[in-house]
Order: sequence, then C-alpha cells, then structure tokens
Amino acid sequence: MSSIFVKTEPYFFLVPALAILLVFLIFPLFWNIYISFHDVSLITILSEWEYVGWTNFIELFNDPYFYTSLKITLLFVGGSVALQFGIGLLISVLLHQQVRASGVLRAIFIIPWTISAVIAAFSFKFIFDDNFGILNYVLNQLGLQSVGWLSDPNMVIWSLVIANVWYGTPFTILFLTAGLLSLNPTIYEAAVMDGATKLRSFRHITLPLLRPFIVINLVLITMWSVNFFDIQLVMTGGGPLFASTTASLYMYRQAFEFGLLSKGAVVGIILIVINLSVALIYLKFLRR
Amino acid sequence: MMHKKNTIRSGRSLHVSFFAERTLIYALIAIFLFITLSPLVWILSTSLKPNTEAISFPPKVMPEEPTLDNYFFVLTDPTLARSLINSLIVSIGSTALSVAVSALGGYAFARFDFRGKNIIMSVILGLFMIPVVINIIPLYTMLANVGLLNSLVALMLTFQILIVPLNILLMRNYFETIPKELEEAALIDGCSRLGALRRITIPLSMPGFVIAAVLSFRFSWNEFILPVVLANRSDSMVFQVALYQFISIYRIEWGYLSAGITLSIIPVLVLMLTFQKQMIRGLTLGAIRE
Repeated sequence: MSSIFVKTEPYFFLVPALAILLVFLIFPLFWNIYISFHDVSLITILSEWEYVGWTNFIELFNDPYFYTSLKITLLFVGGSVALQFGIGLLISVLLHQQVRASGVLRAIFIIPWTISAVIAAFSFKFIFDDNFGILNYVLNQLGLQSVGWLSDPNMVIWSLVIANVWYGTPFTILFLTAGLLSLNPTIYEAAVMDGATKLRSFRHITLPLLRPFIVINLVLITMWSVNFFDIQLVMTGGGPLFASTTASLYMYRQAFEFGLLSKGAVVGIILIVINLSVALIYLKFLRR
Repeated sequence: MMHKKNTIRSGRSLHVSFFAERTLIYALIAIFLFITLSPLVWILSTSLKPNTEAISFPPKVMPEEPTLDNYFFVLTDPTLARSLINSLIVSIGSTALSVAVSALGGYAFARFDFRGKNIIMSVILGLFMIPVVINIIPLYTMLANVGLLNSLVALMLTFQILIVPLNILLMRNYFETIPKELEEAALIDGCSRLGALRRITIPLSMPGFVIAAVLSFRFSWNEFILPVVLANRSDSMVFQVALYQFISIYRIEWGYLSAGITLSIIPVLVLMLTFQKQMIRGLTLGAIRE
C-alpha cells in the first residue's frame, strides 16, 4: 500500500499548479482556435456561436490595416529590443567594473521595472505632452523646435519605443547582472596576466560565457515586445490615425473596441506563430 | 591604435588611462541614472503641486507651494479608493495562492523522481513563454459563460498564469539547496512527510518563499491587461484600471494622476528595494541550473 502511495505522491504535490495552468493557460490556447472558426462578438457571446469556417481568417487577411499593424510591430519590436539589450548590457557591464556602491546603483536602475507599464505610460504621456510637456520645454530652452512626440504619425512609434525602453531595460540589467555574477572571476585574472586589454577580454571571454543568458534574454524581451500593448493603449490608443497600433493592440481593439472577438482571436493565433518563429530563429542563430 | 598599446605598456600613462577609464565609467553611469530617475522625480514633484501649477508654463521642478491635496483627492475619491482596496485584496490573495501552489510544485520537482518529470518541467518552462495577452479573448469568453466577469476571485485565479511557472522554477531551485538528509533524519525520527516539511524544509527555505512572494505581488499589483478586460466595472476595478478609466473619463488632471501614480509605485518599490539582493541571487540560482 505504501509503495503505491510513494509513487503517486509527487503528483499530488503537482496537482494544484497543473490544474491552474491547464484551465487558465493551456485550455484557452486551444479555445482561441475554436473561437477563430466561429462567429463570436461581444453581442453574441452568450448565445450559440455559428460555425463560419475560414471566414474570420479571410476577413483579416483582406484588411490592409492588419498589414500596417504588422509593419508597426516590426518597428516597435526592433527599436525596443535593440535599445533595451544594448543599454542593458552596457549598464550591467559598467556596474560590474568594481564600481563603488554598485548594490545601491543596481537597485536604482531596476526601479522602472518595479512599476507597472500603465504607470510608465502615464508618466511619459505627461513628459511628451505637446503643450505643457517638459521635454518640449527643455528643447525650446535649448533653442530647438518642439517635436510632436505623440501627435506626429512618423514620430509617435519612436516615442513609444523610448517609453518601452525606459520601462523594459531594467529586466535586461537584472538578468545579465545575474549572468555576470555567475561567471568565475579567476578567468579574468588569467586573461590580464596574458596581457589582454579589457575590451578584448570582454569580447573573447565574457561575451561567449554570457551567451546562454543573452539568448534567453533576447528571446524573452523580443516576445514581450511583440505582445506588449499597455504602453500603446494608454499613451496613444493606437493613434494618431493608425500610426501606433501594433498587431497586439490591433487584436485588443478588434475584440474589445469593435466587439469582434473572433477576428481578434485570429490575430492572437498569428501572434503565437510570430512568437514561436522568434524563439526558433534566435535559438538557431545564437545557440551553438 | 599604436598610441593605445603604448599607454598600456608604460607605468605612468597606465595610471592616467586607468583614471580616464574610471571617469568614463562613472560619467556613463551618471547619465543613465539621470535618465532613469528624472521621469520619476518629475512625477513626484507634479504630485505635490496644486492642479493649476501642474500645467503652468514654464514648468518648475520644485513645487512652489507644495501640497498634499492631490493625495487627499485620490484617497477620498470613492472609485479610486475602492480600487486601491480591490488591488490590495487581489494582490495579497493571488500572492498567497501562487506561493502555496508553486511551493508544492517546486517541492515535487526538487525531492521526487517520477515518470514524466522532465517533460512536465519543460512544459512549465515553455508556458512561461506563452504570451498571456493572447489568452485574453478566450479567457473573456470562458469567464463570461460561467458568470465570473468582474469578480476579484477570477482576477486572483487568472493572475496565476503570470507567475506560477516562474515561481515553480524558483522554489525548486531553493528546495534543492537544502540537504535531503535533514528531512530524511526527521522522517526516521517519526515525523510525517508534511511534518518534516513544516518543521524543517519550510523554515530553511524562507528566503525562497520571500522572493516568490515579492515577485508574485509585483506581477499582481502591476497587471493591467487582464483586469482591464476581465473586471472593468466600478466595483471590481483594480487601481491600475481605475487610473486608466480616470484619464479616459475626465480631462486629464495631471496633479491627481501624478499622485495616483506615486501611490501605486510605493508598495512594490519598497518590497523590491528591500529584497533586491535576494532577487538577483534567486535569478542566478535559477540560471545556473538551466
């Protein structure tokens, strides 16, 4: 009797966690596919759903705004990831150079990550405001022209990238700092003995050893940027016109502003495909 | 290039280049510190200004007549005050649930060998990569059909998917740092498995519990997308959603909003700064294992 108990015991410990993940994470993934093949809107949600085949997919692929949103996603994700990773790596390496009070500095640098994206978005909406935002005021004081940070369709996506970089970079700092701390310091001593300069030992020793951390970090921040729309929703609502509606925000707007849940669900499926491709591409090119 | 090599060779210029390097490092850090902190300082200062001064031109960094009126407004506005309480209830509830559930799961992975262990672990890690955003539409239809929209319990449950995968990993790593022998000794002395857990393992892995709790609280308190979709009625709104509604309904009152922002930052900020060291250690521990 006791041997049976021992064999099933670990599963008892796992049941609560697996049950929650199954109901709220895994099941909805498949449920999303079901919704995408039916006609579901905010109005019909509680009545019977009509099966409509590929209609929702066809409708989406005929919508020029969808392709625009993909293009905007590319700009948003490309800008966010490049800057978050570059700046994050730079700061974590700087803090790793036997800097005084590095613990305190590190704590300060992760502050933006402790607040919510919505709050970060509000703060930047205020700072970027065309009329009484402090950024334009500073530019004017320096003798420069005001910039339509959130009102110029060509500028708006980069303003959102700036906000997202401010908000998201601390995660990279935290993650790469953990990576740097896990490296054995004696390898540097050996490199210095051999007369290697700091930059060279960084390129040839630190970076390769950090590689596993860098890969995971890049995969995570890329996916987060693809799926992220808190900042867009709060700062611009996708505007002006359509200029800051990324695919993720497009999904939200289709579903909850226009009530077209099925069309949103199709966008969700496309987002999953994008996420998977991102992960596979990174793993293929960066892991060896 | 030649010049650079020479400076490294000779002793005196080595000193100079060392000094230059330190200056550069500290200068860069100072610039990034300024960028990190200035938006927050600006918000804090705005929150202390009367509303007329908040949008006055030219803007002043220091409030001329500092006042706590904005905070008073936020804390006495019925919807906002209600939402603060909702946020606290949801965050505490979801933190407790996630720590309990993840500790059990993490313990199973740390202490037992069982069939499918590695597969289940990789599935859980893979789930961490599934964007929760994609699930908002199916979750909305599910909860609508069982009548659980606009309920705080539904928020506590759905928030779990943001946290549980990461916490299971953290807890497993923590339990693994505690020698199995301690527990076995207790078992031999006649303790039950749960008794050994309660008397030995849990007290020793308190730091792990703390990290898991802080992270859970951070994710729950800050989450916006799930609650804005699943609970946006005035009696079930959390604070993040209430602030968002607040700016959509009224003309933006930046003084009030800044006070709300500051209030929403404080709880998590205090927690994270207090446990910053443990968090980095927890992440390192997690990363080494992979």
